[in-house]
Amino acid sequence: MKKLYSAPFIAFILIGTIIPTCVVAYYGFTSRDGGFTFDNIAAIATAEHAKALCLSLLLSFAATLICFMIAFPLGVILRNSKLGQKRFIIFLFILPMWMNFVLRTMAWQVLLEKHGVINMMLESIGLPGLSIINTPAAVILGMVYDYLPFMVLPIYNSLSRIDESVIEAAYDLGADKSLVLRKIMLPLSVPGIVSGITMVFVPSLTTFAISNMLGGGKVNLIGNIIEQEFTTSSNWNLGSGLSLIMMVFIVLSMALISRFDKNGEGNLL
Amino acid sequence: MKNRRFLSGLYLVLVALFLYLPIGTLMVLSFNSGKSMSSWQGFSLKWYQEMFSNQEIMHALGNTFTIALWSASIATVIGVLACIALNRMNERKRSFFLGLNNIPMLNADIVTGISIMMMFIMFGISLNYGTVLFSHITFCIPYVILSVMPKFRQLQNMTYEAALDLGATPVYAFFKIVLPDLMPGILSGFMLSFTMSVDDFVITHFTRGAGIDTLSTLIYSQLKVGVRPTMYAISTVIFIIVLLILVVSNVLTSDKVKKKKKDDYKVSARFTGKRLFASTAVFVILMGLCVYYTVSVGKTDSGSSTVYVYNFGDYIDPDLVSEFEEETGYSVVMDYFDTNEEMYPVIKNKTADYDVICASDYMIEKMIGENLLEPIDFRNVPNAEYLTSGIRSVVEDFDPGMKYCIPHTWGTYGIAYNKSLIDDETLRLMESGEISWKILWDKKYEGQIVMTNSLREAYMVAAEILGYSINTTDEKQVSEMTDLLIEQKPLVYAYANDNCRDLMIGGSAALGVITSGDVLYARDANSDIGYAVPVEGTEVWTDCWAVPASVGNREGAYAWLDFLLSEEAAEKNFEYIQYAIPNTQLPDFSGDPVLSPSESVLAKCETLKNLGTEGDDLYSRYWKKAKDNK
Amino acid sequence: MALIELVDLRKSYDGEVVLDEFSLSIRENEFITLLGPSGCGKTTTLRILGGFTVPDSGKVLFQGEDITNLAPNKRNINTVFQKYALFPHMNIAENIAFGLKISGKSQSYINDKIKYALALVNLKGYEQRSIDSLSGGQQQRIAIARAIVNEPKVLLLDEPLGALDLKLRQEMQYELMRLKNELGITFLYVTHDQEEALTMSDKVVVMNRGYIQQVGTPEQIYNEPENAFVADFIGDSNIADGIMLEDYYVEICGRVFKCIDAGFGKNRPVDVVIRPEDIVIGRPGEGILDGVVTSTVFIGMHYEMCIEAGGFEWVAQNTVRHPEGEHVSISVIPDNIQIMNKPQSEDEEAISLEEVLGEEGEQG
Repeated sequence: MKKLYSAPFIAFILIGTIIPTCVVAYYGFTSRDGGFTFDNIAAIATAEHAKALCLSLLLSFAATLICFMIAFPLGVILRNSKLGQKRFIIFLFILPMWMNFVLRTMAWQVLLEKHGVINMMLESIGLPGLSIINTPAAVILGMVYDYLPFMVLPIYNSLSRIDESVIEAAYDLGADKSLVLRKIMLPLSVPGIVSGITMVFVPSLTTFAISNMLGGGKVNLIGNIIEQEFTTSSNWNLGSGLSLIMMVFIVLSMALISRFDKNGEGNLL
Repeated sequence: MKNRRFLSGLYLVLVALFLYLPIGTLMVLSFNSGKSMSSWQGFSLKWYQEMFSNQEIMHALGNTFTIALWSASIATVIGVLACIALNRMNERKRSFFLGLNNIPMLNADIVTGISIMMMFIMFGISLNYGTVLFSHITFCIPYVILSVMPKFRQLQNMTYEAALDLGATPVYAFFKIVLPDLMPGILSGFMLSFTMSVDDFVITHFTRGAGIDTLSTLIYSQLKVGVRPTMYAISTVIFIIVLLILVVSNVLTSDKVKKKKKDDYKVSARFTGKRLFASTAVFVILMGLCVYYTVSVGKTDSGSSTVYVYNFGDYIDPDLVSEFEEETGYSVVMDYFDTNEEMYPVIKNKTADYDVICASDYMIEKMIGENLLEPIDFRNVPNAEYLTSGIRSVVEDFDPGMKYCIPHTWGTYGIAYNKSLIDDETLRLMESGEISWKILWDKKYEGQIVMTNSLREAYMVAAEILGYSINTTDEKQVSEMTDLLIEQKPLVYAYANDNCRDLMIGGSAALGVITSGDVLYARDANSDIGYAVPVEGTEVWTDCWAVPASVGNREGAYAWLDFLLSEEAAEKNFEYIQYAIPNTQLPDFSGDPVLSPSESVLAKCETLKNLGTEGDDLYSRYWKKAKDNK
Repeated sequence: MALIELVDLRKSYDGEVVLDEFSLSIRENEFITLLGPSGCGKTTTLRILGGFTVPDSGKVLFQGEDITNLAPNKRNINTVFQKYALFPHMNIAENIAFGLKISGKSQSYINDKIKYALALVNLKGYEQRSIDSLSGGQQQRIAIARAIVNEPKVLLLDEPLGALDLKLRQEMQYELMRLKNELGITFLYVTHDQEEALTMSDKVVVMNRGYIQQVGTPEQIYNEPENAFVADFIGDSNIADGIMLEDYYVEICGRVFKCIDAGFGKNRPVDVVIRPEDIVIGRPGEGILDGVVTSTVFIGMHYEMCIEAGGFEWVAQNTVRHPEGEHVSISVIPDNIQIMNKPQSEDEEAISLEEVLGEEGEQG
């Protein structure tokens, strides 16, 4: 009887995750005419694919780093302020998701365009315009914008879970503010940081919509290539093969990261 | 001290600004009387009016929220049950299952979506509302488990045992003791799932079937012709409603908290008594509506009096659909796609069955070759006589004898230019029609050129310059064209399709590769914009209606085709889409380079041909090289 | 000269006064305990001293120097927190070394100190253990070790034994007293446990609602409570309404008792405190008040009995058992009757213990 509780969950994992993954693997290891082949996997070695993967890794790494650098101080500020009510924080960061993803990313086009809103504002106060639209910088900005909440929430969660007296104890023993940040707050928020990194890095690595909309077609990420294979080129086999490679990279980086969070304590809410 | 507080405050404000600036922008744009994102043309509420009268949007809205409610509810139940089970497992088993649970979260959306779609297709399950729901539940469950599991960990088993000790049955103890403790976690899991489901685009995009559009997919399908501001309007409305709900509930609870104890920030949301009852009641009502909606969707979707239409997004005046329904008594289910390539596998694999589809010339040719289309019995489409002779000759190229298709819109590719941004010499060449595609390689326009982001059109431009056929499959020629495209890269401001229009309107670019269909619209928004077909020649394209071989409602399909060729439909469509419509009942535009290219221009034009798998592969391989990052 | 001088401290949170007119001086090498129910302001006092809370008004002088606004990390004072507050991501040696590293001590000095401190708290060889692997009592001792290695002038202890079981608590009490004697550090100890306070302290400060009720040695506090609150809070007491008829005579329940107090004036209402063990039980008519035993409980070493006499329920303790329903008389020798003024104003209101306990759930 008790075992039945997990039955629907296991069914969904099986049908919704494992079988589809096997289907991807099947396509990835076969050619169009159905024969077994490694070509789709080996295709990653070609210059275009390898470069796209490298650029994806680079941009998502940068986006993750920036998200962290924004989110950690934010978490500390929120933790220390009266605003630090959980409901309010979740409210602030979940709310933007209610504006459609495609639209809110598109809005950055309007903002960043050569004669867009931001440049108009900058020019009106006599500053030089910003020309990052259609560059990797704009793509990074889009990633940071779309995934920042996934970094802030777990970090804030970890930080708010630190017992106030632990921090007071550090002050009591002579630590100053920066030392408390580095030696107490930072290490104790590692679970949150780890899950934040995961939640930002993975979607950034695999995105195609953001680079499409903000990269002006000039930033070609592995996600774009896979999407092209599945849509315009209709080459599901190659798309699947590249997807498998991407999955391997995700699993590798996650395995690397999760070594820091042995207990799996970090969570989003 | 004060300084520090000020800096913290400033930091918070900056982050909030960053988060909400784009949202504010969209809200402002929803009141723009113009259609373009890049220019403000006065305040107007017309998009809000259009939004409510637009059935597509209301339908998509219904789908979005019922799918979200269903999937979040089901995922929550499954997730909580799974947590109970996981909690009883030993450490190794648990971490194994939690690892599996993470897969959908770690997987790229696109892989999740595609893999589920491929699975359905492999097992011959046609895509429908249920498949979307299934995939949404799949990606929602992990969020529920991640929210509920920590609460389970915090839960003290003692309280449960205490309840048993006091005579409660396990079920009673679970609902009265354990569940209230888990409630905050369950609730946040539910809300997160709901939000994710509403916001999801990619997974829905791949797993939806006939008649299923959510707001996300509707928006994305409009990218081809430009997102209509009604979408900003509906999103603004949703956003404001959610904001209000959150603010009200936040104010209510924080008042309560203040009354209770001022310095106690640990608000444990307890769901007991009246509150539990009230929220359950609201939930039950919502679910009831949801069931009603889903059932009613199921009903209208069946029956032989329905015509299933598969069309490019926003490629027909929505009013015409209701007019057709009134006139003929058929009901219409219309689905949207963004590209031909997206439509093709759906028809080929019969993942959804349609009676009428819209497709571009080369795709029509390809589908004819694969026997995916049925010849049209023109006796049942009397209005076909109104098709212009010009278009008939164009159709010859891909459908000899015009047996399989009926043209919907047509146009050419050319160069859009902004008079105020180009020099006099260029302007003169543009206006006299002597301009060459080579202008797009001219260094003086560095950073001001918008190149097309579509594979075939980009190679078309290169082929015209080099004097090759735009349908060449000679690898040497393709390679040569690729080199030319790579040479152009440093000069390009952006690679864009529909977006080219907005970039031109906003003055971000001086020159752009554009389809004639977009020119009228661009000219309306910015009178400096002109259009020229280069002297080397160009591609002429036609988007046609066709009937798939798997047609279910043939009479309905013919009625649809005939209706669209009527004078009224042609006029309305022309006004709405502003693309050239080859119908003799419309005013004569001959000589207008945008709407009706002259014979001499047409003589230099070619249509795109289906290149076959090998040709496609060849181009896509080289295109990747061309688009390769530096 | 006093080591620490707290001058007229006042602190309120959201308009609720938690500390008012609080002045106290602490001498060097003294074991001083702040005792009182939850919410009496004792923890706030400690936090002000540690530098975690800034008082609304008043001053903290440390060796004559004003440190009221000095940051906690600049004070030569260390704290042992209620829930130990050990750093969960560091092992024991790292925890203990934390303060020493900050003050820039050499590694060999730090190593010696860790060894010394662990020996002091009877946890030799625990350097590399993780915090999770320790029991509550062991964590407590690490918290103390972590504080004392810095050789603070003053060690603040905030209910450090609250989470421990009785036996462990008693052991730790002796250990703390030993440490204090060995180290020569001033201990400022906060507790709500009167037994703990009386056992360890040189001086006890009884607090309630932000005010000091009484300061004195444990003996003074126990034997000569200055008001009904102190009497009630320290040990069991019978607190009855009485009228001071004249010097040395007090009327309780309509009978006149002899006492040793004078100077209250004539016919003045007072509170009378009599400890249960001081009630002498005799046969009816032998004592001053006659009454009936309503309950008898054996509580180890002696019996505790309730005696209904003169309209008042007296609690008495005696090694001789008087069964329920027995008619008895009670008397008290004059030395054991403690007379106290009734509270005059809001400020010095001594509220009853029941009231305090009733609020405990809300105030932290």
